[in-house]
Amino acid sequence: MSITSAQNTSTASGGRGVLPVKARFRLDRSFLGLLPFLALIGYFFFYPLAVVFNDSIHDSKHHLTASAYKALFAGNYRGAFIGSFELAAYSMAISAVIGALICWAVVKTHGHARNLISAAAGVLTSTGGIPLAFSFIAAFGQEGLVTKILLKVFHWDIYAGAFDIYNFWGILLVYCFFQVPLMVIVFTPAVENLKVEWQEANETLGGSKLHYIRHVVLPVLFPPFLSSCLLLFASGFSAYATAAAMSNGTIPLVPLLIGNLVNGEVIADQANQGDALAMGMIIVSALVFLLYGLVLRVSRKR
Amino acid sequence: MRKQIILGTVAAIAVAILPAVSSAPAMADDSAFATCSDLASCGGMSALIKAAQAEGSLNITTVLRNWADYGDAIDSFQAAFGVHINDDNPDGGSAYEIKSIQTAPQASAPDVVDIGASHIADAMTGSKTGGSLFAPYKVATWNDIPAAWKDASGYWFGNYSGQIVLGYDAKLKVHPTKVSDLLNPAYKKVVGIAGDPTGAQEALITVMTASVANGGSLDNVQKGVDFFHKLKTIGNLSGANADSTHIATGNPKVWFDYSFNALGTQQAGQQIGKTFYYVKPSDAAVMGTPYIFGISATAPHPAAARLWVEFLMSQNKGHLAKDLAGDEATNVANGSLDGAKLFASLMGGQNIFTLGGAIPIEQAAMAKKKLLVPSPTSIFQPNPAADKLALKMPTVAQQTTATALLKTAWAKI
Repeated sequence: MSITSAQNTSTASGGRGVLPVKARFRLDRSFLGLLPFLALIGYFFFYPLAVVFNDSIHDSKHHLTASAYKALFAGNYRGAFIGSFELAAYSMAISAVIGALICWAVVKTHGHARNLISAAAGVLTSTGGIPLAFSFIAAFGQEGLVTKILLKVFHWDIYAGAFDIYNFWGILLVYCFFQVPLMVIVFTPAVENLKVEWQEANETLGGSKLHYIRHVVLPVLFPPFLSSCLLLFASGFSAYATAAAMSNGTIPLVPLLIGNLVNGEVIADQANQGDALAMGMIIVSALVFLLYGLVLRVSRKR
Repeated sequence: MRKQIILGTVAAIAVAILPAVSSAPAMADDSAFATCSDLASCGGMSALIKAAQAEGSLNITTVLRNWADYGDAIDSFQAAFGVHINDDNPDGGSAYEIKSIQTAPQASAPDVVDIGASHIADAMTGSKTGGSLFAPYKVATWNDIPAAWKDASGYWFGNYSGQIVLGYDAKLKVHPTKVSDLLNPAYKKVVGIAGDPTGAQEALITVMTASVANGGSLDNVQKGVDFFHKLKTIGNLSGANADSTHIATGNPKVWFDYSFNALGTQQAGQQIGKTFYYVKPSDAAVMGTPYIFGISATAPHPAAARLWVEFLMSQNKGHLAKDLAGDEATNVANGSLDGAKLFASLMGGQNIFTLGGAIPIEQAAMAKKKLLVPSPTSIFQPNPAADKLALKMPTVAQQTTATALLKTAWAKI
């Protein structure tokens, strides 16, 4: 059977079956298969990115300028980057630890409980934003259900002290509600990869539990833990809707400032500043994901 | 026009990523209405209404129903003229409105925008060629608009404004009557401001109100910033945005608000069994710069756009459409009712704004002509000392100065 006739057969039979097709031919086809995806990310990612970048280096009179970028390193914009960084870092640290412990517990359990936790984590991760903010307000707000129950049943007024859901720590707490499930989702597979045989081998060879954790668990889990942390950081850094629903601008966060600049009614003429802030966020996120990729690659090599 | 921006930015991004490919204009045959610059050159009220009916719909943007009683205006307009109103992104702000004219696909682009005064300059140089985004049009009541708040050529004009007042939960043991009352330790964690003053005009005017109440001025709002710093230091300032949703959840319990939001918030409260009181503070009477109308030069429904501003700038006492027979739109369409007659029987927007607690831009002229409906007294708790104060209004320049200060000062309060 010649190659030509093979191709013909392939065309005629709609490409079914394994046929000796030229490598070049196969490459072209797989590229075609990728096209819709490339078109999609081109349209929804690279095109807007180019628009944002282009707008960020032009002022409202369409003149080329870098002033919007200079402003990022001073005053309230710098403060907002620090605020966003802190919120992302704290929520990452807290959620990573709690999430990892839950992963550990999940892997140890079997059957329904495990499925339930995985399903719940999946749902909760995507319940960020306004619904989460308002369920939080409905539970822990000044007239929230939990607040009232604690007051009526336990005579404990949680608002008597420094507690408030509308300050930095309140928002941090809310962020953990979608960060912890995210950690559970991304970290569980790594924990599942710990083979029971390793633990048995450790015991057979007379190793203690501590020995097992120190020399097996930590080295195996550390790279995925680190990469999960980076993912949480990026997620916390870029979240907007939750913070917007729970603050009035007294907590400086970059996404909120962008909102003011592109959608506000007070500061005119400075939409390019919003674009520059967005570029700043994109750069930070890109760095984080670069690190994420690096950690993944290193961990695969081991 | 509104401060809450949650949905706003999602929509702004959606608009931003839609390429600016414009489909053919919805109405190709009424191009005359895209350029007519007053009622006479549009062929009179009856012709304008006929053309608007033929267009069938009107695109407005960032209009909240309970903002300045806009809901009644929308309902009345739709019912009376049979023109459907599409309101895009009710929670958006002025920058979004301008961006919409510039980038939205023609069919869904706004016909009329209602923007903050700070954005006039942006809109007047916002077109691709650096020209105005608006088409010049002078409403029938043009002469009654104060000269400071209209463009001589008719590109833009003011419509209504509001005074900053105090709202509070009726259940509070101590009721506030002035701005300085908010320092009362009884209001721990529950004193609210509507948004970030660098993003929401309402919040900016609130800081100005606090400035005046504390011996400061509209020129320098530092005293207002200091007041909010103090509120935060003693733990009274709530981090919750003072919009009707948060107010309904029980925090804030005392808040600054535009007078024209009072009615809507009170009605929202009634639905959940809460009573909210409003009072004009006796230590500061500051009103915002008026909001500004502009008809888009590229409006997809040019006749409906012109009819909408004629309606909202009308001083008629008349009736809301819900109090009419209900067959008017059909009768105008089949010719058995004259459109101009119908228009004359409708309550004009300037009076609808008044009913919602706003200060219509033509108020002075209307009062003189005895065309002004009485402002509903039931909205505000009596506070005689407050009624004696003369209302102050900042200039656009004062707003710009205050914004420059707040950009760095607010983040640090």
